[in-house]
Amino acid sequence: MAEGTVPVPFEVYRYVPGRDTSPRFQRYTLELSPHTPVLSGLLRIRDEIDPSLGLRYSCRSAICGSCAMRINSKSRLACETPVGPEIARHGRIVVEPMGNQPVLRDLVVDQSAFWNQYQRIEPHLKVDPRHPMPAGQPNPMTPAEVDRFENTPRCIACAACFSACPAVADDPAFPGPMALAKLYRFVVDPRDAGRQDRLVRIQTEGLWLCLRCHLCTEACPKEVRPSERIRDLKAMAIAAQGATEHGSRHVVGFKQNIREGGTLNEMKLVRQTYGLFGMLPQLPHGLKIWRKKPEVARRPPAIEGADELEQIYRALDTEEKR
Amino acid sequence: MKLAYYPGCVAKESGKELDLATRWVCRTLGIELVDFPKFSCCGSGFIDEANETLNVAINARNIALAEAAGLDLMTVCSTCQGMLSLAKLRMTDAAVRAKVDAALRPLGIDYRGTSKVTHLLRVLVEDVGLETIRAKVRRPLAGLKVGAFYGCHLLRPADEMGWESPEEPRSFEELLAALGAEPVLYRGRVMCCGFPVQFVKAETAGRIAGRQILDAKDHGAHAMATPCPLCHISLDAYQGPAAKLVGRPLDMPVFHLPQLVGLALGATEAEMGLSRHLVPTGPVLAKVPPAGH
Repeated sequence: MAEGTVPVPFEVYRYVPGRDTSPRFQRYTLELSPHTPVLSGLLRIRDEIDPSLGLRYSCRSAICGSCAMRINSKSRLACETPVGPEIARHGRIVVEPMGNQPVLRDLVVDQSAFWNQYQRIEPHLKVDPRHPMPAGQPNPMTPAEVDRFENTPRCIACAACFSACPAVADDPAFPGPMALAKLYRFVVDPRDAGRQDRLVRIQTEGLWLCLRCHLCTEACPKEVRPSERIRDLKAMAIAAQGATEHGSRHVVGFKQNIREGGTLNEMKLVRQTYGLFGMLPQLPHGLKIWRKKPEVARRPPAIEGADELEQIYRALDTEEKR
Repeated sequence: MKLAYYPGCVAKESGKELDLATRWVCRTLGIELVDFPKFSCCGSGFIDEANETLNVAINARNIALAEAAGLDLMTVCSTCQGMLSLAKLRMTDAAVRAKVDAALRPLGIDYRGTSKVTHLLRVLVEDVGLETIRAKVRRPLAGLKVGAFYGCHLLRPADEMGWESPEEPRSFEELLAALGAEPVLYRGRVMCCGFPVQFVKAETAGRIAGRQILDAKDHGAHAMATPCPLCHISLDAYQGPAAKLVGRPLDMPVFHLPQLVGLALGATEAEMGLSRHLVPTGPVLAKVPPAGH
């Protein structure tokens, strides 16, 4: 054992579709300094033990976004995940390809779905004629305008968020955290003429499928905080067009519901979201719930001081988001 | 110990069994809960999506009510915990604070940010302490394999919630072990229950809930337990539709966190309101030896 090194057991996902009948985990143990990035360990495995290991990487410096994978279940960059803390916490390093994308070979996935979703939000500036961009000239923005991007320009399109997202896993209609964070970036860009159109379209193109579980924000290596930008997009979409979808009707209905007594009227919220007739398919299971929990059908007593809440709404609910 | 008790909307109404169990457990452990009839809804993550400042303001009002009484505030819901914690954090931003203060001050509400916002799970693990709880167990939940299910907003965003690892939390499992139960580790325990889209796209909500229940089941869990009544709605009240959507029988009883604590401390099933669940809890509890054995 070299000085300052520890034995690091890797369990690496191996699978070549069309050749292997099923995926398997292959074990390798390396002597590594605790500071060694997981990527360096994988490259040593490939270079010194098993040249058939498939993986994608390039810069090794958390800039290119190529080496996202699942390390001990968490989607992240292999180049900036040191082995030491993983060993301390898990005793081993389980390496799997990113989630929500089909495996091409071992740790390499087919990223078509990710890029198609990105393309779908039209990630380019639609120049506003009122904010002209002279040919060959920069089109300056004020520092305050740049601040509205939040951290979205930091995105390196590594797809760790896409890999971690349960809404992506369930529904191909959901654009995914990265595409929506990028959409936010164009919506708040003062030089972009597409704001209204972008906000109207996204209401029916998956915005409301976000579960706000914040798994994307945990996964993101660049602190883009996609779940928070998606929240902002939701508010902006409602401000731009009103509540047109179940998702936005639920949000606006909830806000109104609480204004009326300070506490949730559950049955009324269902009506606010679906409308009277839209509620009908909910009824059979709703009745089963009602038999155990009859309170779902009653109007709860208003909180004391509900008038204070009304004053707060009057003061703040006129404000449009951004 | 005396705390401002923030039950949240669901525990006051359709999730009343959570309120029953919370009060029983706190009484038994000597925690005095002070009710605040003026507390409002936390916004549940929905008001936030329409108007962030409004959501911060209604929660700043809630926190200020506890502050005026000189008490820390205890939630029993991961989402309430998330929303109230987020409001405290946002109130450290001068621009947000100025807007919110301008709305609250005319009502004589003075937010200072001095009250801690904590969750029952945290109170039990950190303030009461696992040793104290272990010493009071009268009916160890021996042989009961339980999958803890945390609820997103208790864990994430981790830099805002500021408690334990969002990937590898352990507090709930340690509590379960102190009750004599056998905690089951599975990936789904830190995942989403699907509730936020229950009224947007019920099939997605059902499939997501079903997947987490299956994950717990496939890791040997006899039951699940959650510190969040919204997760409870998804995992228990909507388990029937979820089972159809994932195409496998689930039959997974789901407990509210204080119900399991109460049962271990000697409460009856009626005292814990277990008859209000959609998935019966009787069969798994029948396997747990009665108190004193």
